Order: sequence, then structure tokens, then C-alpha cells
Amino acid sequence: MSHLHLPDGVVPLWLWGSAWLLAIVIAAVGFRREAATPQRIARVGALSAVMLAAMAIELPLGPVEFHLTLAGPFGILLGGFGAFHVALVSGSILAFAGHGGFTLIGLNALLLGLEGTVAAAVYPVLSRSRGAAPAMAGATVLARLVAGAAWIAVMVLATDSRSRESGVPARHAMLASIAVPLLLVGVVIESAVAFGIARFLERVRPDLVTRGTVPLEVIGESEAR
Amino acid sequence: MSLIADLDLIAGSGKSPWHRASALSKMLLAFTLVALAIAFSSPRLLLVVHVAAWLLALTSRLPFRLVLAAVTYPAFFSLLFLLLTWSGRLTDQLWLLRPLTAGLVAVWLIGTTPYPDLFAPISRVVPRAVGDALFISYRTMFSLMTSLEQMMRALKLRGGNTGSPWRRWGVAGEGLGTLLLEGFEKGERLYATMLLRGHAGRICGCRHWLEWTRDDLWVMGAFVLLGAALLAGART
Repeated sequence: MSHLHLPDGVVPLWLWGSAWLLAIVIAAVGFRREAATPQRIARVGALSAVMLAAMAIELPLGPVEFHLTLAGPFGILLGGFGAFHVALVSGSILAFAGHGGFTLIGLNALLLGLEGTVAAAVYPVLSRSRGAAPAMAGATVLARLVAGAAWIAVMVLATDSRSRESGVPARHAMLASIAVPLLLVGVVIESAVAFGIARFLERVRPDLVTRGTVPLEVIGESEAR
Repeated sequence: MSLIADLDLIAGSGKSPWHRASALSKMLLAFTLVALAIAFSSPRLLLVVHVAAWLLALTSRLPFRLVLAAVTYPAFFSLLFLLLTWSGRLTDQLWLLRPLTAGLVAVWLIGTTPYPDLFAPISRVVPRAVGDALFISYRTMFSLMTSLEQMMRALKLRGGNTGSPWRRWGVAGEGLGTLLLEGFEKGERLYATMLLRGHAGRICGCRHWLEWTRDDLWVMGAFVLLGAALLAGART
């Protein structure tokens, strides 16, 4: 519920256009601030592939299916900019399959990037007093709530824009009654999965979860092993 | 996601004229159609663009279930959106055609164009890091999905799907942790190999993605027909 997957033609031009512009600026700043080393490029590509594979897991929730995003854990592993780049790449591939429109790639990347950024910011604080697994789960909860709220705000803007054309007020209460329960269920599932990921990484690659958002290329391979 | 895998297979092995046409001309046609679908507010013109998208999808010899799958997803979200903004007018339903058109065009493009040809022009307009990451992601995605399927099956057989939901999701998370490390390894190995072989930021060093073939006449024809239909639609 923190990624749109809304198709083309639904969101007004001013919203998706400005999101695209902002996404381009963030992508450029991200690659400038965090040098695009071969290892970083490879890991952004790899994590995008993992994100796409994880999205393929269908967790049935009554009439709908829940799809994981893992933006929170990826933000913790790669940092906010890294999570944003991962979201940009995976969103582009999904758009070619009709999952989320071409015009929505920027907006989707911003929402998922926001989730990753919040998780990356919160995780170091939480991990000071807790183990990696509860800290990653907690950071994912907070990040998902923030990104989910942003998702609902985007939907309100989009439906309001449509309402101005039709002259009929948008049904915000209906939106809330659908989105909020799904968001809360999503928070529980994503945080449980994040807990599992951190528990596993803590055992086999503790360097990845104990250093928070230290760029991965800083960690030498020999040290990591 | 198996939708992408199926489309990828057909894109490389399909025999329709669309498959033989150059990637650049198809991308131009696809983006024109999507732009028109978004820009038009006239139901008649929107209908013309939508019919054109159906014609493209149906003449590309893609299995109908794939075309349907590509349309179902945007249709679901559009219906939700329609529900939130429904004004009771019939023209609201026609407004649904926009996302459906975009979905059909996307499935036509990806189902008739092998991915190196698709990424080659993209890698020329986006920063190298983004183009390379896109390519690595697409290449490693299929093997990771296979690993994920095997892992999920193994988890099921070994009782990973038992117990409370919190336990099940946690176990799934541990599995995704292994997938994450496997992804790192695969991505880095692939990129190192590409660099060793002289990769300098151009996906597919060849230029056949922009070489015009006789089958590009079909794409030109589609442009002409679309233009004519739009003109006729605008006049009536």
C-alpha cells in the first residue's frame, strides 16, 4: 500500500510531472553524493531484482493479494538514496509489464524512496538499544506508516483533481476505509518479513545489519567474510 | 511476475511483423499512443486510441491470456479510482480506457521487443548508472525468481508454512535474506563480467535496435492509420 501501481491517465499531469522532475533531481543528487561505483551499481540492480522477485510473492488477504516491497529493509542496507534508486529501477521494469504506468514511475520511486529513507534514518537509533531484527522491524513499521500516509495523500490529491472536473466530491471516507486497513495489515506483514531478513543477516552477514546505512562499498569483502 | 517471464520469452521467439520491426519505431509508436491516451479528454478520440491499442496487441500473436493479464491489473486499480470519483455519468466509464490503453500498449511493446533492444535506446538517454542497474536487474530477476520458487517450495515441504502468521512471515523473511545475498553475488558477478568484456555504458553495442527493416512499414502504417482515424474522429 505504499507503492501506487496506479496506471497511466489516472493521476493529474501536474502531480506526476512534478514527481518525475523531483525523481530525476533526487536520482542525480544520489549518484553524485554516493559515488556510482561498479559495486554500488551492481547492488542497486541486484536489489531491484530482489524487490521484483519479492513482489511476485502473493500473500492472500481475502479478496485481494498483498505484495511485499521490502523498501524499508533496502533503505537500511543501501541508505535512502540507494532505496530510491532501487525503486526507480524496479518501477521502470514493472511499468513495461503494465504494473504501474510509465507516467507514475517517478511518483512510485518517490514513495518507495521515502519509505527507505525513513527506515534508514530510524534504524541506527533503534539498533542502539535493540538487536538488529527488532530494530529493522521497528524501522519498517514507522517507514511504512509514513509512506502509507503519503500514498493516501497522493490518492486524495488525484481524486480531488478528478472531482474538480466532474463536479462531484471525491469519496475520501471510502478511500480511508479501504486504504487504512490494508496499510495496517501491510505494516504487520512487512515488519515480520523485515524481522526475518535481519535475523538471517545477523547470523550470516552481521556487517550488513550492524553498521546501519554505511555505504556497502566501504565494507571490504575480506572483512565482510 | 511470471507475466514478464512469459512476455520475455515470446519477445525473443515471436514471428509477427511487429517482432521484426525496429525497437525504436515501436517505442515511438507506443509512447505516442500512451501520450495520446493521457492527453485526450474526448471520449471518441480516446476510443480510437484504445481500439488502436487492441489491434496492436491482438495482431502481435501474443497469447490472449497474457494480453488479458496485462489489462486486468490496470483495470482493477482504475475501477477502484472510478468508484472513489464516480459521478454517475456514462463518460466516466470511457475515462477507464486511458489506463487500459496504456496497459495494452505496454504488453505489445515488451512482448514484441527483446530486452537488449528495449534497453539499448533507454541506456542512451538515462545516466549510465541507471541504465546499467536496469540491465542487471532484468538479467538477474529471472534466476532469482526461480530460486525464490524453489525456496518457497522447500519451505512448504519442511514445515515453513506452519505456525502463527508472524512465524511464517518471519521464516519467509529469512528466505528472502538468502535471496538478497544471492542477488548481490549474481549482480556483482554479472557486472564484473560485463566490465571485463569491455562494457562502456552502452547496453547492446550493436545498433540493430534503430536499423529500419521492411517490417517498419507496418509501424509507419499504424502511425498513418492512427492519424487518419483521429482526424476522422475529430471531425465527426
